[in-house]
Amino acid sequence: MLNAIDKELLKEVADLEGIPKGAYNIRKNGELMGREVSANINIETNEAGNGIIIRIKPGTINESVHIPVILSKAGLHDVVYNTFEVGENSDVTIIAGCGIHCGSSESEGHSGIHEFRIGKNARMKYVEKHVATGEGTGKRILNPTTKVFLEEGAYAEMELTQLGGVDEAKRVNEGEIKAGASLLITERVMTDKTQEAESKNELILVGENSKANIVSRSVVKGDSKQDFFVNLEARAKCYGHIECDAIIMDRGISQTIPALKAFHPDAEMTHEASIGKIANDQLMKLMSLGLDYDEAVNRIIQGFLK
Amino acid sequence: MIELKNVSFVVPDEESTNGGEPKEIIKDLSFTFEEGKFYGITGPNGGGKTTLAKLIMGINPVTSGRIFFRGEDITGLSITERARKGIAYGFQHSARFKGTTFRDLLSIAAGTDDEGELIKIIARLGICSIDFLDNPVNSRLSGGEIKKIELATIIARNPKVAIYDEPDTGIDLWTIGPMVELLKREKEAFKTTTMVVSHNKAFLEAADDVILIRGGQIAYEGDLSGAKPILEDLSVCGFANVCEGESYAECYR
Repeated sequence: MLNAIDKELLKEVADLEGIPKGAYNIRKNGELMGREVSANINIETNEAGNGIIIRIKPGTINESVHIPVILSKAGLHDVVYNTFEVGENSDVTIIAGCGIHCGSSESEGHSGIHEFRIGKNARMKYVEKHVATGEGTGKRILNPTTKVFLEEGAYAEMELTQLGGVDEAKRVNEGEIKAGASLLITERVMTDKTQEAESKNELILVGENSKANIVSRSVVKGDSKQDFFVNLEARAKCYGHIECDAIIMDRGISQTIPALKAFHPDAEMTHEASIGKIANDQLMKLMSLGLDYDEAVNRIIQGFLK
Repeated sequence: MIELKNVSFVVPDEESTNGGEPKEIIKDLSFTFEEGKFYGITGPNGGGKTTLAKLIMGINPVTSGRIFFRGEDITGLSITERARKGIAYGFQHSARFKGTTFRDLLSIAAGTDDEGELIKIIARLGICSIDFLDNPVNSRLSGGEIKKIELATIIARNPKVAIYDEPDTGIDLWTIGPMVELLKREKEAFKTTTMVVSHNKAFLEAADDVILIRGGQIAYEGDLSGAKPILEDLSVCGFANVCEGESYAECYR
């Protein structure tokens, strides 16, 4: 049964008002809470018993699967190993996410180690939201690892969002992109108080005409700290782009370290990066439209993280 | 409508030898802008035109003097408060945003996100495409597009006073005519007191009143024909800054 806190967390991380339709797997406090499979999407516990395997049949079109994780047990550090096999020519949306509710002084954490194998010409959209709530003083820790292997002609779009409450986050993203395949990663992170977030990305373009685009938007408030690393490596005629922007408020600290490595003469790679306060001309413009200072700041941040 | 009483604006002169000698940009300037009139504000570069416009919007605070709007002293009011009273300002260099669309800005300006209302506003500007609303207001927009957006956000506010700082910056010659017509139409329809800071003849010809600012003061006020001899006498050369130097390269301008 879902209690009020569970419901709130599920709504935050997966936009769910209750139990979802279609295939799903809900994990609560380190245990399976509910699972449903569909004709095309199978979910089963892996051999080691420490995660799930999601298999999507080739040619599955317009289906989605929800796999939220919720945590509200003091002292629990949950680690799961999940594997996603997306069949050839399919087009699916996977909605993941982790919500932590901390009500005590003990820390709580979740590490989701995800591996994606996207079949030839398949399309996958992966949406992952991380949130933490509760009045407790214990640390809320989320350390996700995402490995993506794209076969020829495959397309994956990953939206990774962490908009508040998480004290410590160490993210690792890895990708290997074969001929004609594309990977788009958009990461949005907002930190406040003394929170720390780190994101390490290792992407390799191995096939001809492969594409990778990684976009990072950071808002660093209070005394928080964010580090963003990317290694984008080209081993064929391909296209790669990195875009990282950080807005610093208060006394936040931000580092962005993008690296482009071309090991092929026809590799085309670009990056743009910026770190700074909210631009004064943006504030002036919105204030001249009738917003006060705080409203203007909010609108700019909202748009930036949209 | 807008009354300036002995307005001065002083900044520390960064170029002065002792590093902080005060420099007067606007000097004891008094003027009354009348309701529903179209003013063309012109004059040499560095004369104080833009500074004057920014003082009225509250972007720069006056050093001394008072500003009145419909008889009310607004000298101490913020940009936001002045905007809410009905003063609008079009920036010469429009702000670019990441993740903010034209629709977002227009909704803020109009105070509604009702698509029907937004379409009515863009129709006034001659923008026919609804898709244009979802353009991000970022650095990928052309000079003409960003200018249309800037204009739209001002018109959307139905302001009592509309100030445009060099609205022809970054647009092509053929767009200026329709822009002048638009400002005139808006002025007629809503009795908008319109102030345009510009060097462009098209705006000055459309103005009911031309104000020439030089050395932080009003050097002339009246119709354009009267201003012409003074403007020619100033022989405003936009390249004056780069021309100054020791060796002479035969300027053919």
